[in-house]
Amino acid sequence: MAPIVQCMGLTKTYGGKLALNRICLNLERGRIIGLLGPNGSGKTTLIKLMNGLLKPTAGEILIGGQRPGIDTKLHISYLPERTYLQPNMKVMEIVNYFQDFYPDFQADRAYDMLARLQIQPYERLKNLSKGTKEKVQLILVMSRNADLYVLDEPIAGVDPAARDFILRTIVANYNRNATVLLSTHLIADVEGILDEVVFIRQGNIVLQAGAEQIRRNEGKSVDRFFREVFAC
Amino acid sequence: MLGRLMKYEWKATWKLLAPANLLIVVTSFFAWLTWRCMRYDGYDMSNAAVNLAAGILLVTYFLSMFVVIVGSAIYLIWRFYTSTYGDQGYLLHTLPVDKHHIIIAKVLVSTAWILLSIFLMYLSLFLVVGSTMEEFGTVFQEILKIVVTQSYGDTGSAFVVVMGIITMIVGMLARVLKVTAAISLGQLSSNHKLLTAFGFYYAIYIVQQIIGAIYGVVVSYFTYRAGDGALGMMWEFNLITGLVYMVVFYALTWYVMEKRLNLD
Repeated sequence: MAPIVQCMGLTKTYGGKLALNRICLNLERGRIIGLLGPNGSGKTTLIKLMNGLLKPTAGEILIGGQRPGIDTKLHISYLPERTYLQPNMKVMEIVNYFQDFYPDFQADRAYDMLARLQIQPYERLKNLSKGTKEKVQLILVMSRNADLYVLDEPIAGVDPAARDFILRTIVANYNRNATVLLSTHLIADVEGILDEVVFIRQGNIVLQAGAEQIRRNEGKSVDRFFREVFAC
Repeated sequence: MLGRLMKYEWKATWKLLAPANLLIVVTSFFAWLTWRCMRYDGYDMSNAAVNLAAGILLVTYFLSMFVVIVGSAIYLIWRFYTSTYGDQGYLLHTLPVDKHHIIIAKVLVSTAWILLSIFLMYLSLFLVVGSTMEEFGTVFQEILKIVVTQSYGDTGSAFVVVMGIITMIVGMLARVLKVTAAISLGQLSSNHKLLTAFGFYYAIYIVQQIIGAIYGVVVSYFTYRAGDGALGMMWEFNLITGLVYMVVFYALTWYVMEKRLNLD
């Protein structure tokens, strides 16, 4: 079976500024992968290209062997680093919205997670705190049976207790044959759940390796190794 | 998926635009009541307080219609921008739906709201002013007759009405698509998306004015030579240009969404 993500000479420029530089990358199925890099390294650009929110300047990106389009969107569950829901919608209306558009969405699973967090379905999104809104978005994204979960900075800007919930939710709910791509620069918090890491710097992939392999070969944690690689 | 997109677009805009249109109905009723009272024989024209109250009511009526029409248009433009190219665009463009369906849903719902508001405004004006001032109705009918004759010639009235409605709907769709095209073309700019959108809108407006002026000069020349003084072929021109503009603006909107999408 083809890798879930294939990048071949993938390049993206904004105006004259290079954001991704001829990236070649394969991501296999059934892995939790950390896309790690400092701010402005190109993580979000790569994620947007996977989701068809940006068009490549050169090169190609394939999701399950297909260019980003309607078919690939059926198989990717994407959590952006911002609130993308209409603030005046009720939580239950948003659940219905996802159910209407994504055939793999499990409403029961969503309501179960909402109940455990005591988030009321009739509450409007604009009345929820920032952290709760992020939890609602994560619940929606993880309630799909997708082949690829793309989570852009899912733990940035939330308190440590919320981080624990988010990571537990990811591990407990993702489809075991699927890949989870998790972008962050808060490596210490996510290291425990990662199978593999991809280091990205200034639009270039500088490392792709197993998390355990790094710990064994380098004799240090991924977080420590990251700090050395990206030392200013 | 088109039906679902339209359902959610309608629901999202309903919350604000339904009460706004209801405002036209409510103020129309009070304006009608005020107008009737003012024309009643027992109305005391010398009472300043009553005159002031009636005046305020009527000004509120006209003002609310203006605010609803203009406000609805601004709201629909803002909604298209934020839900398509703002934060909510991240959800919209990751839905497994055709870009054609996204454009059609947004344009049809926006056009329906604007046409509804305009219909309510004309209906209100007709009921409030027309029903209480017979001379207004007569003058209005005469003006309408001249406009229709000049635009359509001496054709059957049913044909005139049908073509008039079709031309109006096509014209409105073209206007809405002009806005979506300008906003979409604005996305091609890296740093000044809104400013670029205004620039494109203005450029499109200028081109349309030039085309209209050329047509006007050509038609005036031939009608002058024919000696009939009629504007001639006016509705055909509006219908054909409306259809052409619709196709061009739709294609531009689709091109940016499908081929050049660049969400910040």
